[in-house]
Amino acid sequence: MTDRTLAPGLPRRRFLAAAGATAATLGFPAVLRAQPRTFKLGVVHPVTGPLAEPGQACRLGAQMAAEAVNAAGGIKALGGARLELLLGDTQTKPDVGRTEAERVVNQGAQMLLGSFDSGSTAAMVPVAQQRRIPFLVDIAAADPITANVARAVKEGQQKVQYVYRNFPTGSSFGRKAVQYFTEIFKEAGVAPKRVVLMYCNDLFGQNQARGFQAAHKAAQPGWDIVEVIPWPEPPSDLSTEVARAKAQKPDVIAPITRPASAQLLLPEIRRQRVEMLGVVGPGSPGLYEAGQLATLKEDLEHVLTSVPWPNFKHPKTRTLAEEYARRSGGKTFDTNSGYSYDGVFVVADALERAGSADPDAIVDALKKTNYTGGLMQYGGPIVFNELGDNPNAIPTMIQILGQKPVAVWPREAALQKFVFPRPKA
Amino acid sequence: MDPVLVAQGVVSGILFGGVYSLMAVGLTLIFGVMRVINFAHGDLMVWGMYLSWLLATRLGVDPAVGFVACAACLYLLGAALQRGLVDRIVDAPHEMQILLMLGVALILENAALLAFGPEPTRVRSSLTAWTVWVGPLFVDMARLTAFAVALALAAGLGLFLYRTDLGRRMRAAADNVYGAQVIGTDVRRVYAVAFGVGAACVGAAGALTASFLPFSPALGLSASVASFNIVIIGGMGSLVGAFVGGLLVSLAESLGAVFFRPSLKEVVSFSLLILILLFRPTGLYGRRLP
Repeated sequence: MTDRTLAPGLPRRRFLAAAGATAATLGFPAVLRAQPRTFKLGVVHPVTGPLAEPGQACRLGAQMAAEAVNAAGGIKALGGARLELLLGDTQTKPDVGRTEAERVVNQGAQMLLGSFDSGSTAAMVPVAQQRRIPFLVDIAAADPITANVARAVKEGQQKVQYVYRNFPTGSSFGRKAVQYFTEIFKEAGVAPKRVVLMYCNDLFGQNQARGFQAAHKAAQPGWDIVEVIPWPEPPSDLSTEVARAKAQKPDVIAPITRPASAQLLLPEIRRQRVEMLGVVGPGSPGLYEAGQLATLKEDLEHVLTSVPWPNFKHPKTRTLAEEYARRSGGKTFDTNSGYSYDGVFVVADALERAGSADPDAIVDALKKTNYTGGLMQYGGPIVFNELGDNPNAIPTMIQILGQKPVAVWPREAALQKFVFPRPKA
Repeated sequence: MDPVLVAQGVVSGILFGGVYSLMAVGLTLIFGVMRVINFAHGDLMVWGMYLSWLLATRLGVDPAVGFVACAACLYLLGAALQRGLVDRIVDAPHEMQILLMLGVALILENAALLAFGPEPTRVRSSLTAWTVWVGPLFVDMARLTAFAVALALAAGLGLFLYRTDLGRRMRAAADNVYGAQVIGTDVRRVYAVAFGVGAACVGAAGALTASFLPFSPALGLSASVASFNIVIIGGMGSLVGAFVGGLLVSLAESLGAVFFRPSLKEVVSFSLLILILLFRPTGLYGRRLP
């Protein structure tokens, strides 16, 4: 009896199971289409640790940009896919940067954006190359980050370059700084001869200093770098370093700082009564952020520094700056938030032109980027050269006037006239 | 080499040495009495700095005076830490001590991060801008005050340990716990006082330096490492050693900045550590442990 009922029953069950499976398989794409697609972007910055202040600004800039992209309909070429940010924290440590990059990639990140600090960014490059994840560096100046990959591709060790950077490099910072220094001195009608370069001795500082010195050697302007003084970052005491600088009788001190070292350096310069024409930085954090201004007050007045800066003549920048101030508790929209903001838009633009989430298609689209919607001060549209860098990403000379950072040079970017030499105390 | 620069290096080195000494004195006391390596030492100092900042910004108390309150608060925190946590691992293997104290350090650092944010900050004090010129050399009054107070506190601590009953019992407990118990010492209380005083010292060091050293929650680790360096050089458990060690390390760093590239100044102080470990492993004033 069992055999006979099972024999006809089994084929029916088998038929039902097969029919069910077929229906599910056929119906599957419909189920998928019904859910909104997302494109996962890994956004990694130092939100804790010594660089937490700029890192948090970067993260907020990226978040605001992603919201703007999604509000405008997402990535239309990918079926209206929303940008989903997978956030990572490097803790200002390069090894943690690498681990965080791996973590977000394991969670499904299809592209990476980050990471402010050259050390962590360099550590993330191997992850991008090995896992074939296009990596847009929003902020990091050390030249080797892209140059090493470009060289590896050229020499055949790597097939494709996945790392691109929309930010000035150490060497371009150096070139522009030397150019701005010379132009400002000429415009001010003074001829300083002795410049003392002082810098923080981490990967960023070393690279900036090297770039500045190389550019100076190449340009041979009328002024000399008479002494180079590095300090360990973060420092506990800079009195000896400033004493050494003072002993050189400088006309200009050119500092490359981080927020903590700037808080020691500038009061020390004032305390030791270093007589000079002014403090003009080749480009570094610590000399313009809201937190720094609140702590250092008059010590920062009239300090000039050449930093990548938002284009405040663009009306969209001003509206964005107000929104940023609201959401960050009063902070200024500056380099850090701005470049991360533009970075997300560059990613969105590349995805629109790639039309797919395939890494090599995205890389092809990135290489052909010609984006004019950037809110930062650029020297032209955002493009990427053979090294993967944007040659139009240039710094602007800003000065702290009335306790606010203001663009003062070059002329087309200037909102106010610069004050140099600084007034006598 | 410019003699003025060298002289200035010596002056700056000695003045900052007072602060280093005060940090190290707290650490060596805790180790000497309890044989506990306080990895949370630097973070306690950072809390001292933030308390000083709170007093200055919310209540308008100048750090030059407020350090007393900071030291008192940190004394209570230290004693509480000892009673609540450290007491349980005093007899435990070193690995457990390390784990516990590192955990405390992480909690303190991240509590500070949550409470105060990550930006480096300083305290404005009446002494901040005051500089006295002695010929071509300058003396920063904030540092001079820190040095003077550090000297006074270390001397006070010495008096406490050698002239008071509780101090003698503390030294007895450090020498031989069972012997101390035999003579009627409440060892748990002694330990709590030792940890409290150690924390108070480093809290005072923090409050005194808050006016000229930019601090953020991340400073804790490097402050701990610096304290360890000094204590090992001076000799773990020796008060005089910690004081002399602090001056020596600060002087070495300062002169290192004068004669070599300033970015290498920590190479000088850590080379000193290596030399001491090679030729006098118990430290300059350390006793041989049984």
